[in-house]
Order: sequence, then structure tokens, then C-alpha cells
Amino acid sequence: MGEKKISLFRMSLLMLLAFSVVLAGCSSNKGSTGSSGEGNSVDGTEPFEISVYIGEAGQQPTPDNKVYKKIKDELGASFKFEFLAGESNQKLGVMIAGSDYPDMMTGNTKLVSAGAYIPLEDLIEQHAPNLKKHYAKYWNMMKDPSDGHIYILPNYGAYNGEVTSSWYSGPAFWIQKAVLAEFGYPKVKTLDEYFDLIEKYKEKYPTIDGSPTIGFEILNNDWRTWGLLNPPQHLIGHPNDGGVVVNDGKAEIFADKDYAKRYYQKLNEINAKGLLDKEAFTQNYDQYMAKISSGTVLGMFDQHWSFQAAEDSLTTQKKLERTYVGLPVVFDESTRDHYRDRPALNVNNGFGISVNAKNPERIIKLLDRLMEEDWQKTLSWGFEGEDYIVNEEGRFMKTQEQRDKFTDATWKLANKADSLYRFAPKMEGYFSDGNATDGSAQPEEYRASLKPYDVEFLDKYGYDSYVDFFSAPPENPVYYPAWSVDLVEGSEAKVANTKMTDLSTKFLPRVILGSAADFDKTWNEYVSEMGKINVKAYEDRINEVLQWRIETWTVK
Amino acid sequence: MSAKKTSLSAVSASATVQNKSGINRIEPILFNTFNTLFMVILVVVTLYPFLNTIVVSFNAGNDTIRGGLYLWPREWTLQNYRAVFVSGTIYDAFWVSVARTVLATLLNLFLTTMLAYTLSRREYIFRKQITLVFVLTMYFNAGLIPGYFLMKDLHLLNSFWVYVIPSMISAFNMIVIRTYIGTIPESLVESARIDGAGEFKIFWSIIFPLCKPVLATIALFVAVGSWNSWFDAFLYTSSRQELSTLQYELMKLLSSSMNANSNPAVANGGGVTQDTVSSMVTPISIRAAVTIVASVPILVVYPFMQKYFVVGLNVGSVKE
Amino acid sequence: MVETKKINRAAAKRKQEIKYPITWAAIKRQRQLIYMSVPLLAYIILFAYVPVWGWTMAFQDFKPNLAFAQQTWVGFKHFVFLFTDDNFLRVLRNTLGMSIINLVLGFVTAIGLALLLNEIKNMYWKRTVQTVSYLPHFLSWIIVTGIVATSLASDGIVNDVLMWLGLINEPIVWLSEGKYFWGVVGASHVWKEVGWNTIIYLAAMSSIDPSLYEAADIDGANRYQKMRFVTIPGIKATIIILLIMSVGHLLEAGFEVQYLLGNGLVVDWSETIDIFVLKYGIAQGNYSLATAGGIFKTVVSITLLLGANWIAKRMGEERLL
Repeated sequence: MGEKKISLFRMSLLMLLAFSVVLAGCSSNKGSTGSSGEGNSVDGTEPFEISVYIGEAGQQPTPDNKVYKKIKDELGASFKFEFLAGESNQKLGVMIAGSDYPDMMTGNTKLVSAGAYIPLEDLIEQHAPNLKKHYAKYWNMMKDPSDGHIYILPNYGAYNGEVTSSWYSGPAFWIQKAVLAEFGYPKVKTLDEYFDLIEKYKEKYPTIDGSPTIGFEILNNDWRTWGLLNPPQHLIGHPNDGGVVVNDGKAEIFADKDYAKRYYQKLNEINAKGLLDKEAFTQNYDQYMAKISSGTVLGMFDQHWSFQAAEDSLTTQKKLERTYVGLPVVFDESTRDHYRDRPALNVNNGFGISVNAKNPERIIKLLDRLMEEDWQKTLSWGFEGEDYIVNEEGRFMKTQEQRDKFTDATWKLANKADSLYRFAPKMEGYFSDGNATDGSAQPEEYRASLKPYDVEFLDKYGYDSYVDFFSAPPENPVYYPAWSVDLVEGSEAKVANTKMTDLSTKFLPRVILGSAADFDKTWNEYVSEMGKINVKAYEDRINEVLQWRIETWTVK
Repeated sequence: MSAKKTSLSAVSASATVQNKSGINRIEPILFNTFNTLFMVILVVVTLYPFLNTIVVSFNAGNDTIRGGLYLWPREWTLQNYRAVFVSGTIYDAFWVSVARTVLATLLNLFLTTMLAYTLSRREYIFRKQITLVFVLTMYFNAGLIPGYFLMKDLHLLNSFWVYVIPSMISAFNMIVIRTYIGTIPESLVESARIDGAGEFKIFWSIIFPLCKPVLATIALFVAVGSWNSWFDAFLYTSSRQELSTLQYELMKLLSSSMNANSNPAVANGGGVTQDTVSSMVTPISIRAAVTIVASVPILVVYPFMQKYFVVGLNVGSVKE
Repeated sequence: MVETKKINRAAAKRKQEIKYPITWAAIKRQRQLIYMSVPLLAYIILFAYVPVWGWTMAFQDFKPNLAFAQQTWVGFKHFVFLFTDDNFLRVLRNTLGMSIINLVLGFVTAIGLALLLNEIKNMYWKRTVQTVSYLPHFLSWIIVTGIVATSLASDGIVNDVLMWLGLINEPIVWLSEGKYFWGVVGASHVWKEVGWNTIIYLAAMSSIDPSLYEAADIDGANRYQKMRFVTIPGIKATIIILLIMSVGHLLEAGFEVQYLLGNGLVVDWSETIDIFVLKYGIAQGNYSLATAGGIFKTVVSITLLLGANWIAKRMGEERLL
């Protein structure tokens, strides 16, 4: 009996606690929604709050974030961010079905076709002179293929001036600096030369720091498929067009072509020599990164940003000779490499204003104001004196401490407005005073941030930065890049794309790991299976859009 | 009741009489040694991943990438936890989670047990039909979008109550409780009826208190389920930060790289600079910190609930 | 023994023979029970059954931005896509194979562990073991598969132990062979869930009348006989009920484990229905296909459920429905 009384008592205590928390929660809700009653604004009108949906994962900035505070104090605008934390399609489906949109949303083709955004061209013409000037060259490229309206303000690719980033983010055949150093800093051009170096180095050094040396590594896990699928197009001197190679404005898939066969045959050979990681096709991303961070992987084909974290780990471990150089490898001496490309306009990515926004003019005016140089410097470099310094020649530089902070995600939540800046229209290239818009494009800043080992290494080649290993990028064809073509949701083209990727994932490991004798047989099986997929739908869709781009984008 | 009687006689009828008392002395020792050894291995095998996660969460991300961490951090840091707590949204979300878990548990326990009681009465005329309706709900799901519309029409969108009201009864829990109630002797109920008690009184005064072991179990299931759920926050309340739950906040931290595949621009390196690279992937160490923060509260509470059903219970005061 | 079985069946049949007709008088007599259950029935109909109108999506080319009336109807197109895909049968086979393995392993290990835990006399040790054993349940599959992948790697602990024991000479690349995949998934499930699954059984065991154990002691039963004749029959109802419900979930092999551990080399063995539907459904914005897949799974699940329930009825065991 006594027991029963106590448990009832406990239960009622818990209920009281629960209700009080709920009540507290409810009342604080009412408090916070009416918060925008302080601060002054640029044109003397009420301060306002913009609700923003960001279609990627991210964390809320801290409440005392200094850049957002400055925006609120000087321009009266504050932001309420909502980040994606799950499967994008589920969230979008529900948002679209319920017409549940905040004021601003990051660009997404599904939202465009659902009619979630308002057309922007008139708003820009009337209220945003800076944006108009910024996008002048690219105006036609921003239009949506289906109805010619501009819905999204691209966040990257609208350059003013020449592009010279010193940090290469894209795809390449990477090789450890130690390997190049070992054999006298040779110039490596062909695939055979590349694998020869790796083979020789592995023979000489079968283990590194006590672990077995891995000659070549491939990652093909989840959505990271480019490591296995992309090389053939580059090896014949084409830039990254996704799953196709484009010749004279006509696209065709390359997965089943002879030059692809040539590449995978080479991989088959090096596997027979024991140069390929046995676990290449069963590992996940974490294991891949672990291997690279241990310094035992001599080379791989990947995009730089994908394994950058592992390189950082090597740098922290002071194993600089184990970090990598990107080489633009091709099949034949005579082919000109086209790995490094001029960044194209990042269509369909950026911010759009939703149909539910109550104040589209104010929003566009805000974005316009933020385009001005003073704000751009704040958003990109930070606060002068705190986040960067200006030397006697008026050039922007950073101290080592400032550089470290820039890569610290937690510091950035309190000191940078990254969630806004990443998706907002921005100046890229150079400011009017000649400083680059971002640190890695500022030549002397880049140079100053290099470690002594790298400076020495580059000097042996006579280069200024690792980007110089690559040929200068030619002008982009009008329609470039093909990978940004939207394969409409649920269309034949999209289904075919998924099936092709699946098929390649299934067959290529077998092709590579099998014996040399079986190679032709397995390859032919692969090609015939590929033939059963409706590849034509995929190619047709891409060609359709490429044609449209050629017609519409040429008029600049 | 009669089932229990028959199993008693089954035991007596078929148990062989132990012959040598020697076996009786050695066997418990052998068995207990084996059992203890087995349990120790079990503990090691199940504890290790958790310990490892704790270790990883206190290890610097840069170093964790190398792999090879086992039972001790190589480079101790609190940075990962800092990253989890830095935007301050965790604290409010924690209280929202607590509120919803407590409410959901209390409501569920009461309503589900009440329902289970009615469905345990074999003479209840609607027993079969109602049971079927409930059991079937475990095997279908109407879909995200219709569910969303329902919440919208009920004005539950962007409201705290969407966490509690749609999930007040679970068919599975109901079945488990009903099965348990089936082991309570009918005689208790019958004698209460003879005394003139109504069904609700029987339920509340007799059955409910006797269900302690299963209630503790179901309370655990409901609490853990409610504590861990983030999907409803994701779909229904994501535009109101103040309604965010702990798991949803943590989920936001975890999914940095999961959604890049829906954006070809990211997969092709569009717009990535040296500074933004670090935000593309959630380091293993932060995932570990998130896991620890997510599970510690429940792990701390549960052992206190355990005592309700580890000890054997006196089923009834009525002797057969 | 034989007599007790007959007595059981006869008693059960007798119970079943008593019919409880629905009459106004009965309704009036049982009105308290009705008040206690019918409102909840209305509740579940609202939240679970009303949204089922959404199943019509499977017969349309659903676009979320269009209103219901504006959708295009395509009949069984999505079902055809689902059933005629080359991979469909394979995917179905994988799902069922892994589910059955998980089911059997799950039950055997959970009940076995519960029995062993029940034998522990020291309260603190028992509670400690129990608490620790369900810790893996709280780890997400992302972390667990990471640990599994590391353990199965060429330099991982599994290969190390096997080589040390002399069972193999060279490390096996476990995740590259399709034939091991189902085993790996089963073992991972057991590791993650066995502790958690024992909770229900331990709760059921605690309801067994202690006087039964006393009587068994008096009759000189040893430990195993007590388990066989007191403990297991005592929790038999729970076991059967859970078994029936699990059979209904046979198509729910899930997708997280298989998705995270799968790769190109084992894809023929690792892809489940859920992965397939996810790839061609939601991931492509094809909500209709996702709904069609869901309907298919529901139909099969309910069939399996009713089948299992009927079998239990035939065998005279405890039934779900």
C-alpha cells in the first residue's frame, strides 16, 4: 500500500514538471516571435526578419555572431535559418505539397518546377543595380529553360576579372610528393608514366611507417562514384562533363567506349601486379580517409576537396612529404590536358525568393546592398584587424592564427556569416583595390601560407603554386558543364542515369579484379548489359539542354 | 488458472528424481562459471563499441581520421563537444525532448494499458474487431504526404502537440501488455466483480498496479522511442527553432555529407573553396560526440526503472 | 505429458466454443469496456486509417505541387515498373533471406540470453550485465557499421583472431563475397539488438509464479528441467505473440545496414526492397513509386501475419487475433 502511494506521488510530480516545462516553452514562444522591435535600419523603416531554408546540413550561428549582428545593426535585417537534416526529397515533397515556404530558399530544381519561387528579373531591374551589374554578362544563363524567367541568383561563377585561385579543388590523378621527390621531380604526363613511378616506389618501399604500402586507391562508395567512373573522360583530354563526353555540342556517354576499356584494362594490369588496394571496392569513406591519413597510399584519382580532411591530418602529423600533388594525366603525350577548367556559372544554386515572401523588394534590396565592396570584404575576409591584416602595400594578409581560425568550423559559427555568404551572390575575382576576394586567390597570401617543404618542392619545378601543374584552362564552350543539366525528376533520363551508375558499380570491380584472361569476356558482358539500359533517353535529355544553352546563352 | 495448475503437475510428473547428490553440488559451480564467463565476454563485446565511441568523441578529429583508436584517446580534446554545444540550440531542445518524453510516456502507459485491459477480456463483444484494427496498423503506412496533410488539417503543424498526440497508442505495446494481463489470474477479476466493482475500477485499482514489470518495459520503449525521434520534428516543426528536439538538433550535425548527392554541383566541386571544405563532411569524432550526448540521458535514467521488473513479483494474494 | 497436451487443447476448444454475441443487452452490460476502448478506436482510425487515401498516389504520376484533382492517373504503371524490373525477384529474395535469418537468430539468442540472465543470482551483476548488453541498441547503424567494417577489414580483429586460431592462412575480405553478406548482417543485428530484445522476455519471466519454481525444487528438478518446464512455458505466450508479429514484418529487413555495408561486389546479395524503392522512388522524387512499394509490402505483410496467426490457432497455441 505504501508503495503505491509513493509511485502515484512520483507520477504526479513528473506530470507537474512536464506541464510546467510545456507552459514555459509555450510562453517563451510568444516572447520570441515579437522580437524584431529593436535596432535601426538603413532606410529608416522597420527592422525585419527573413526566414531562410537552406537545403543542406548546417548549424545555427551563435546568437552573438558578429557579422549577423553587424547586418542587423546597420541594415535592420536578421535571419532565421532552417537547415536540412534528413533526406532532401522527403522534406521538399512535404514543403511543396503543403506550399509551406519561408521567405528565401536555396536553389533547387524541384522547387523551380513546383513554382515555388517568384521571377526576379523585374525586381533586379527596378531595385538592385549592383546585382544587375554583377550578372550582366550572365543574364541569359540565369534563365530557366522552361519559361525564360530568372528564379535563382547563382552564388558562384559570376566573375569579375581573371580567375586565379591557387588552390585546386577539382579532380586529378594524385600522387604523393615523396614519390616525385624520390625520382628527381620528373614531369609526368601519361598514364603509363604515372603508374610506372608508383610501381617503382612501391618496390623500393614496400612498407611506410610500418604499414604495407598501397600503390593506388579507388573509392566508390555511396554517392562518391567519381573515383571509379570519371577518369576516362579526362584521360582523353576532356573536362568534367559528368557522365558524358561532349564533342562539337553533341554528348554521348563514355562508360562503354574503347578508351574507357583502355583505362580499366590498365587498372586490371596494375591489380595483377599487386598495386591496387585489395579492399578498394569494399571500403567505406571513413576507411578510405583513414588509409590516406596514414600516409600509405601513393596515389588515387579523386577530387581534392573530397580527401582534403585527410591531407590536413597528414599536415598535422608533420608528414608533408606524404601529401599530394595533382597531376593532369592523359593517355598520350600529344593530348592536351583539360582537368583544370574555368569555373562556370553555378546555375540552380544560390538563393531564390519564395512565393510566400511578404517583402520581396526589401529582400532584393538587402542582397543588393550586401553586394557592395565594403560588405563583400566583411563577408569574405572578415573584420579588418581581427580576421585579417593589411600590409604596407595595402594588400590583405592573414597571420597564421587567423588562418587557423578560418578552418575552425566552431569559430566560424560565431564569427562568420557562412550560411548566408555561401549561397548569396558574391564578388569573385578582385576588388577594386586589387586584393583578391578570397584568401586562397591572393598570391602572396597563398605563398605565405605555404610550408617550407612545399616552397622547396614547388621551386624544384619552378612553379608558384600546385595549380601550375595543370595546363591553363581554355575558354569554356558555351554550354559547359554538362553535369549541371537537370535530368528531370522521375524521368526516363534520370532512371537511366541511376541504372548506369548501378551497373558500373557492379561490373567495374569485377572487370578490374578479375584475371587478365577474363577481362575481355567480362567487359563485353558489361557493355551488353549497358546496352539494355535506355541510355538514349539520358543522352537525348542532355543534348536537348545543351542545344538550348547554345541557342540562348550565346547572346551575351 | 487451469493452465498454471497443469504445468505444475507437468513438472511433478516428469521431473526425474536426482540420484546422486554429488552432481547437485558440482553442477551449479560449473554452470555458474560458464555463465559468468559468458556474461563477461558479452559485456566486453557490447561495452567495447560504446567505450570506443566515448574515446573517439574525446579525440581530436584530425587525429581520429587515421583510425586505430581503441580504448584511450590519442589526442584528448573537448573540441567535439564544443562543436555540439556551440550554437546554444541544444539546451532548449533538451527541455523540449524531456517534456515530450515524459508526456508521451505517461499518456501511453495509461491509454495503452486501459485498451489492453478491455481487449484482454475474452467476453468483450468487440474484442476481435478492435484488436484486428489495431494490429493491422503495424503493417502499413499511409505515406509522408497524406500524413502531412492530416497534421495540417488538425492544426498540429508547428505545434508542440504534434510530438505527443499522434503517437499516444502503439499497437505493439498494447499487444505486449495484453499478453501480460493474460497471465494475471482471472480469479482476481472475478472476485472484484462479485464485490460489485465496475470495469474501470477493476482496471485502475487491480490490474494497473499488477502490471508493473510490463509497464516498466513499455515505459522504457515509449521513452526511448520518443526521446530518439527526430523525423516528426523534421517534417512538421522544422521552421520553429524553439520547438526543435534534442535528436533533431543532433541529426542536423550528423547529416553534413548525406545530402550532397542530391546536389550535383557539390559532387562536381562547384563552389568549394579551401575554407568551405571543412563543412562538407562531419568528422567521425563529432558523430561520436553526438551519439554520446544523445544516449547518455536515457542510459542514466533507465537503471532506476530496472528494479521494477528484475525482482520477481507476487502475482496475487489469492492462493490457488 | 501427453495427457496434459490433450487437456490443454480441450480446454482451449471449450473456451473457443463460447461465443459472445453482439446484442443490445451485451452492449449495455459491457458499456464501461466500450467507453474505455471505442474512443481509442476512433483515435486510431483518424491517425492511421484516414491518411490511407494517399494510396491513390500509387496510381498517379504524383507531383506534389499539383492539387489532387489535377494529378494524372496512370493505373498500374508503377507496379509494373516494380515487378518487371530485372532486379525485383533478386531483391525480394535478399529481403526475405535476411529477414528470416534475423528472425531466427534474433529469437534464439534473445530467449537464450534471457534464460541465462535469469539464472544469475547476484542482483547487481545481473543488472550490470543487462544494462551493458543493450548499450549497442543506442548506437546508430552508421556507427555500428563503421565498427563492423573495421572489424572485418584485412587487418581487423576478426581476421586476426581467425588466423591466430589457425583457421585461415590469409585474411578474408569478408565484404567482397556475396555469400557472407547475409551472415554479416545477421551477426550485426544480433550484436546490436540481443540485449534490448531480452527486456521483454525478462519482464515476462518475472511474472511467473515463484511457487512453481518451489514446487519444481521439491520434485527435484534440475536447472534445465526448470527452464524447460517452468520458465519457457511461462513465457510461451509472449514468445508466440512476438513471433507472429515478427513474421508479419518479414519484408522489413530494413535498408540502413545493407545500404551502409553493401558495395558493388555484393550488390546482388545486399540490395533489399527498401533500398530499391528508395533509389527509384523517393531519391528520384517519384513519390508514386514509393507508395506503390509500400502498398506491395503491406499486402504481403498482412498476408504473412494472418497466415502465422492461423497456424498458431491450428496448433492450439496462443493467438494474436
